[in-house]
Amino acid sequence: MREVFRGPSGVPERKQNLPQLYRFCFLMLGDSRKAQEVFHATLREAAVRAARGELPSEPFWLFRDARWRCLDVTKSDLQPEWVEMEERDVATKAESQIQRLDPMQLAIWISAAPDPQRTALALFYLDEFDYREILEIAELKLSELSRFLAKGRRQLQAWLDSKFPQAGNV
Amino acid sequence: MKLLSSMRRQRSLLNCAPISARQLADRPMRSAISRADDSAEFVDQQNFDRAVAQLVSLISIPAESAEWFSEKDLVPVRKRTWRNMVRNPAVLAISIAVVVIAGVFVFNFVSHLNDFPGSATARKLLGVAASTRPVMLDPVNAEAGTLSDLFFMKHGLEHYDVPEQFADFGTIGCRVFEDDESRRIAQIWLSEKRMQLFLFPAERDSKSGAVLRFPGWRYVHQEGWTGAVTEHSGVCFMAAVRGSDKDLEPYLSQPKE
Repeated sequence: MREVFRGPSGVPERKQNLPQLYRFCFLMLGDSRKAQEVFHATLREAAVRAARGELPSEPFWLFRDARWRCLDVTKSDLQPEWVEMEERDVATKAESQIQRLDPMQLAIWISAAPDPQRTALALFYLDEFDYREILEIAELKLSELSRFLAKGRRQLQAWLDSKFPQAGNV
Repeated sequence: MKLLSSMRRQRSLLNCAPISARQLADRPMRSAISRADDSAEFVDQQNFDRAVAQLVSLISIPAESAEWFSEKDLVPVRKRTWRNMVRNPAVLAISIAVVVIAGVFVFNFVSHLNDFPGSATARKLLGVAASTRPVMLDPVNAEAGTLSDLFFMKHGLEHYDVPEQFADFGTIGCRVFEDDESRRIAQIWLSEKRMQLFLFPAERDSKSGAVLRFPGWRYVHQEGWTGAVTEHSGVCFMAAVRGSDKDLEPYLSQPKE
């Protein structure tokens, strides 16, 4: 399997970091079981391709593949009702509010966002890719990515404020 | 208009500003960040992003998924066979280069096996023989053996004697010239098989100045020409013909009576 995660030069690809791939699936789906299913399906596909010697040469193909699988899975799920989410400016107290969250809550929040904002947020907060790489994987323009991230921050801040109204005021 | 667009792009870049410094490779991004570094809004954004990224890094990996990160090969890695190695273009190219270099070394080694003092000069003179035309020589109709006196009397060349095996052959012409190292060379053209004879100073030891002698006849080859060289009294004699050793052997076998 190691061969799957090596670049053409035989050097393991940092960008094909498997724990981060799982986290990406988790953030996209907000559900550990579904994230595992997609993660395993992606790696099985990679293993089969590796055995046939047909591994794609593009650097982020595992993440791209996993992304489409995640979107496919959520397509068949119940869709959240569209509501205009409240937005607030990012506050100084946000850091302490976020520290009170657990990863599952964050994943559920991100996975509820519409795509491609969901992909943008998941990829950005993995802290694995620079913005140009995110643009490539999510097939976005800089202005779009910027808008999704800015909006995501403001929406998350509003949600944090509603969830922890007293945090940071102590 | 341009300023507005530039400001909008900077705003876009700042919204995508990297969370950790290791992603900070892009120059426009670095420039946008350096301009916004002091703004409270940007500091809040960075703290916000860092806190979220920190939370994401806490997402634990289930044991079944972590198995994929093990060192175990779930898909057997194809073993490298000799055949595959040999078919690798890089290996193939290196092998060919090594063979060619080895070939050159062997060729040089073999061709220098029969080297003797003066063989380099002899080869050069074979080149001269190939390019010489009869008109370049002074016409002389005599026996080759008699030209020793001419070389001594006219050019002051001592011991430029034609060996007795070639002394009786008639000549068409002769000349004395200097080679690129200012050594004086005597060249004689025979009517016999259009053979050419050369007399030139034997090689000397660079320190002691002593003549480097060698016994008997030695062959040299160059551009289809063959020379038979011998040394006597500090002077080398070479008989040159277009052909092979066999063409010269009959002349060298025995001194004429």
